[in-house]
Amino acid sequence: MMKFVLKNVKNGYRAGVISELGNQPDKTVDTPFCMLYTRGGSAPHLSRDVLNRLKNLPLVAHMPLNILADHHEAVRKFQHGIGKFAAMEDRVVYCSLHDPSTLVKSGYNDKHGVSVWGKGGKLKLDTELFMKIQESFQPDIYQALSDGDTDINSTRKRCIKVVDRTLSFLDSILDIHNKSERLKKTAIFGSIVGGYNEAERVRCVKETVSRPVQGFVIEGFFNPGPDTEHFQINECVNLLQKIIEILPVDKPRLMQSIWPPDAVIQAYELGIDIFDSSYPYVVTERSSALVFTYIIPTEETEGEELPETYEINLTDKKYFADFSPLLKDCKCYTCENYTRSYVNHLLNTKELLASILLMIHNFHHYFEFFESLRRSISDGKLEDLKKLINKPKKLPSVER
Amino acid sequence: MAAKAKHVFSLKILAECSTTKARTCLFTLPHSVVETPVFMPVGTQGTLKGLLLDQLDELDCRIMLGNTYHLGHRPGPELLEEAGGLHKFMGWKRSLLTDSGGFQMVSLLKLAEITEDGVQFESPHDGSIMMLTPEKSIEIQNAIGADIMMQLDDVVHSTTTGPRVEEAMHRTIRWLDRCLKANKRPKEQCIFPIVQGGLDSQLRKQCAIELTKRDVAGFAVGGLSGGEEKSLFWKMVTLSTDHLPYEKPRYLMGVGFAVDLVVCVALGCDMFDCVYPTRTARFGSALVDTGLLNLKNKNFSEDFQPIDKNCQCSTCKSYTRAYLHTMVTNETVACSLVTVHNVAYQLRLMKRIRESILEDKFPKFIQTFFTTMFPNKNYPEWAIEALKSVNVNLR
Repeated sequence: MMKFVLKNVKNGYRAGVISELGNQPDKTVDTPFCMLYTRGGSAPHLSRDVLNRLKNLPLVAHMPLNILADHHEAVRKFQHGIGKFAAMEDRVVYCSLHDPSTLVKSGYNDKHGVSVWGKGGKLKLDTELFMKIQESFQPDIYQALSDGDTDINSTRKRCIKVVDRTLSFLDSILDIHNKSERLKKTAIFGSIVGGYNEAERVRCVKETVSRPVQGFVIEGFFNPGPDTEHFQINECVNLLQKIIEILPVDKPRLMQSIWPPDAVIQAYELGIDIFDSSYPYVVTERSSALVFTYIIPTEETEGEELPETYEINLTDKKYFADFSPLLKDCKCYTCENYTRSYVNHLLNTKELLASILLMIHNFHHYFEFFESLRRSISDGKLEDLKKLINKPKKLPSVER
Repeated sequence: MAAKAKHVFSLKILAECSTTKARTCLFTLPHSVVETPVFMPVGTQGTLKGLLLDQLDELDCRIMLGNTYHLGHRPGPELLEEAGGLHKFMGWKRSLLTDSGGFQMVSLLKLAEITEDGVQFESPHDGSIMMLTPEKSIEIQNAIGADIMMQLDDVVHSTTTGPRVEEAMHRTIRWLDRCLKANKRPKEQCIFPIVQGGLDSQLRKQCAIELTKRDVAGFAVGGLSGGEEKSLFWKMVTLSTDHLPYEKPRYLMGVGFAVDLVVCVALGCDMFDCVYPTRTARFGSALVDTGLLNLKNKNFSEDFQPIDKNCQCSTCKSYTRAYLHTMVTNETVACSLVTVHNVAYQLRLMKRIRESILEDKFPKFIQTFFTTMFPNKNYPEWAIEALKSVNVNLR
């Protein structure tokens, strides 16, 4: 069963190692880390063949249930779980309830279950169907069914209700899980909900902690979807601190959102260990390439000019005849083989290769950023990294 | 007429079929040595639908197409020249072939009018009247820099009859001379003339004989595959190869269905192109020896085999039909996956053909191919006839 060992706790910053993960017992993963974001079981735009050309690929593949749930009958007949079904058998699979970049509409949950939005529209998951899907998918880790449908405007009554439901779901799930042969190697992450109500949050944490879960998913500050990119963690910082304080230190905490690098560092400092990588996907979908700097300057490189924005938009006409790579000195497949001008052409002609090349670069860049984050923690240089990340503006202005 | 120069573009015939007109050759081009018979995938806008350069290399694709009409519009010849040609622009190190742009003008644009000067058309972008002359076509193709360029030809629909066909044939010959004269990089880029003449045997023959008098590296057979009857199509193909020089490659334009490829190789064609394998992939259809698998079909939802268990492509190595079924309609990655397979299928089909010709077992290959594709032996009549003309009797 999954193990989490803390190896470095300095000034409240934590770094750890997760090991003995389900189907990949020999591999380990260092925290903090981001998972590999997938849609329908595949990295967006990237086949396995293309994906494997990336260096620093995260071990954990993040598979939101909403898109995949429709196919659970086929996966059950397949018998070897969702990882192998989606040609991701060399990764650890984490199944979340929702996709971080797809809007989850409010008001569709009740005491019997939770609604998720897939390609075929709404799908209502009760605990029975939810567990049937998990038994078919056999992920290495899954998020327990939860009602996280709260935000800053939710009433106290609503906050009590979501905690009641989520705990009740968790009990039914554990009941089925513990009897299941097929889920013997699978870990459960309990969901911490309760909106902005401190008493309910505390109740949820205490009750969840007393049950046999191997990690925690913190949600319910906002609805998943495109807007989460602009969520200001400051809005919930006190409450989040309170939650983290009473969570056991020896279990990992995961939080899903569209995470720009500054928000990642902020959330990490508050105590989050596991992130998703929907951000580079969202950046790709708006035809941009990440260019922010995550390499802490040495004496030699001190004083070099930093990019003004986190990303550049390749539809901008200024790249029409720009034969340089997306980002100077970047070691990704795209930057080593293609130019800004060519990507600009592919975007102008709406060619599929544009998304593929941008996705490769943006994943590479984001995964390298996490590598740099871990390094800066172990080297005691997190403050230097923060300075770099907090300097640029987020979005460029674009001239088409 | 210019004195016959030694070409950089040389054809070496490795083996010929002792029964049919098929042959297998090495066609040396400035950017690669192409093994023929060859299928050339179409990368219209300077990209092959969602494939990386390395993936094309790994499929051993040695030549692909770009479309002059599209590339001439975007990114345009000026940028391509600045980039050092399409090869450098798209990062492709092997060979390229470009069409003349004329076909798209006539087929895509309304109000295209053909005069002796060239093809006059209304710009779809600003409505202005523009003219594509033979000189202009070659100028753009020189900027693109493909190993093989196509002459601008006077395209008539393959089912057109009467004096218009004859006019087009003669004009095509006149335009060839203008194209050859306009070529600024004859050492790096060759021009293929195009045999026209509609479905009229006399005109085709006359055209082929006339074109052959020019010093060129290879020939294309055009104006076919446009919806004409197959019984007429194959007769025009075989007549064209009969009158083209044996020691030069013959490129049959716009042909890419597996059955057509097998038959037309038997009739003596060496090069083929078609958008079909890549276009059909976008709709979730995968090519196999038994025909086509429409992966959208519910029958595949619990089919845990690869598309083709004999295929070595990266898609067939990792993915099942059932998983592809979940993806084909909604994720772009499915399009890349099926495209990789379909291109691999076409290239492997040609490889199998080449190997069978080398071993002089091509007639046997044809037989096996047809019984797999048509297990009930309901072979198309035209294919039976065409193959009979080259001494192969389908059983």
